[in-house]
Amino acid sequence: MSGIIEFRRVSYRYPGQEHLALRELTLTLPVNEKIAVVGRNGSGKSTLFLHCNGLYRPLSGEVFFRQQRLSYDRAALRELRRRVGVVFQNPDDQLFSASVAQDISFGPLNLGLSEHEVRRRVAEAAELCGVTALLDRATHSLSGGEKARVALAGVLAMEPEVLVADEPLGSLDPWMRLTLFDILERFYERGNTIVMATHDLSVVRHWATHVIVMEAGTAIFSGPPAALLDDPATLTMTGLAGVWDRPEALFARSAGTACASAAPGDDHCEPAPPRRARAGLTL
Amino acid sequence: MDLIDRYAYSNRLRRVRPEHKVAVALGMLVLCLGLSTPVVGGLTVVWMTLLAVVVAGLPLATFGRVLLTEAGFLVLTTAGVMVSLGATPMAGSEVWAVDLGIVTLSSSPPALHQGLELVSRALGCAAAMNFLALTTPQVDLIDLMQRLGLPALWVDLMTLTYRSIFLLLESAHTMAVAQDSRLGYLGSLRRRFESAALLVSQLFIDTYRRSVRLHTALEARGFDGRLRVLPASYATDSRFLAVGALAGLTLIGGWWLG
Repeated sequence: MSGIIEFRRVSYRYPGQEHLALRELTLTLPVNEKIAVVGRNGSGKSTLFLHCNGLYRPLSGEVFFRQQRLSYDRAALRELRRRVGVVFQNPDDQLFSASVAQDISFGPLNLGLSEHEVRRRVAEAAELCGVTALLDRATHSLSGGEKARVALAGVLAMEPEVLVADEPLGSLDPWMRLTLFDILERFYERGNTIVMATHDLSVVRHWATHVIVMEAGTAIFSGPPAALLDDPATLTMTGLAGVWDRPEALFARSAGTACASAAPGDDHCEPAPPRRARAGLTL
Repeated sequence: MDLIDRYAYSNRLRRVRPEHKVAVALGMLVLCLGLSTPVVGGLTVVWMTLLAVVVAGLPLATFGRVLLTEAGFLVLTTAGVMVSLGATPMAGSEVWAVDLGIVTLSSSPPALHQGLELVSRALGCAAAMNFLALTTPQVDLIDLMQRLGLPALWVDLMTLTYRSIFLLLESAHTMAVAQDSRLGYLGSLRRRFESAALLVSQLFIDTYRRSVRLHTALEARGFDGRLRVLPASYATDSRFLAVGALAGLTLIGGWWLG
């Protein structure tokens, strides 16, 4: 498997914390794939992402980009950040400028490009993300979906080879998700790589071509989605059994069925006995 | 802030060069201050209202309401100059005085004239600034400062401060609603003060966290200590400049005649 970013025994600890956020992580992100990164909250997904373009520096271990070990001097970081773009979970953390056009222009201008080239990239990224009509607007006046698309345009204007997106779907409605997936698909079709953190099973099943499961700061699975979702043993090994293979199990308790306690693969759910209502309060 | 921003982005002068709007507004302000007479102050108010309503297309009610609010404050603050309330009437030759028993209310034509001059001058200046604020988005003013070669650090601070105002307002609103939904502002006065104090302290923490996240996101896009953004493009409106020049000449004429 050809890797675009490779982690070799990488560990990282946040200042003031005792436990490691990444623990001897060894992982290869394959090139030109749509990679979904899944795992519980606090499993190390965001920390992994911030290592991808050198925002965080490992406590130990090494990170490679296209077989080149990362060095953290200014010139190398500039080049790395041109090639690996990061979209953050909350677009408000990313948008700093007063107007949309100015915010999108920030990254390309930092690459030292000419004003003409920057304007071309701003127009192209805005068109790709469907925000051309918003270019003159103030960033604070945008809706959540518009902010997400502008934040994405700000990264795509740098024309990266890898797009790392940290749960970009979290606050988006289904219509806006469709738009976002359309943008991502067009980026992918240009021969680029996408790495996306998600909690959405349908994204793993229907969008991703590769899936990584993070647990306690390390990758416990890396492979095609089918190898994870269609294999009960792998699901059990990754701790996703009963949740990811049968999402209806999440609601079993509130629906009054016994599905939550059913074994993986058991599709038959018996209604659970009704709970006794407490005096004055019917649950 | 929202109201100012809404009009600043939707008025008919939105695409006009900000330096031209600044020149007209500041020109009128300087003339109003320099040619210090009630006539010039009144003319400035009239001209700025005409420019805002007729040329920029702002609603008269909105521009008038903002101006009237400011006029209210000005009249209250200059009342002390125009009338005197004390044990003895104010000094001077043409003093009108009303004896109210233990105190005397007094005034004089020079005092009234001075008060009127103060109100009209301040109101004229306020009208010029209102025009600028309601027709020119902060984005354009920051862009102008950049083009005028003001220190980069200052412009960057203005950019971040402007953005932070809205983020802070949004955070404060979300927190206040969350507190209100848990009866944070329905209890005793003491409880309400406690809720407000908690909100303010949390807002500081929230601001700090946001600034850390913002810095990380800026670094991800190659930030090296300088916030580089593209300059915006604007149009020149010669009619607006002509009307602005005419307004200035009218002020000088009013001063000459008055």
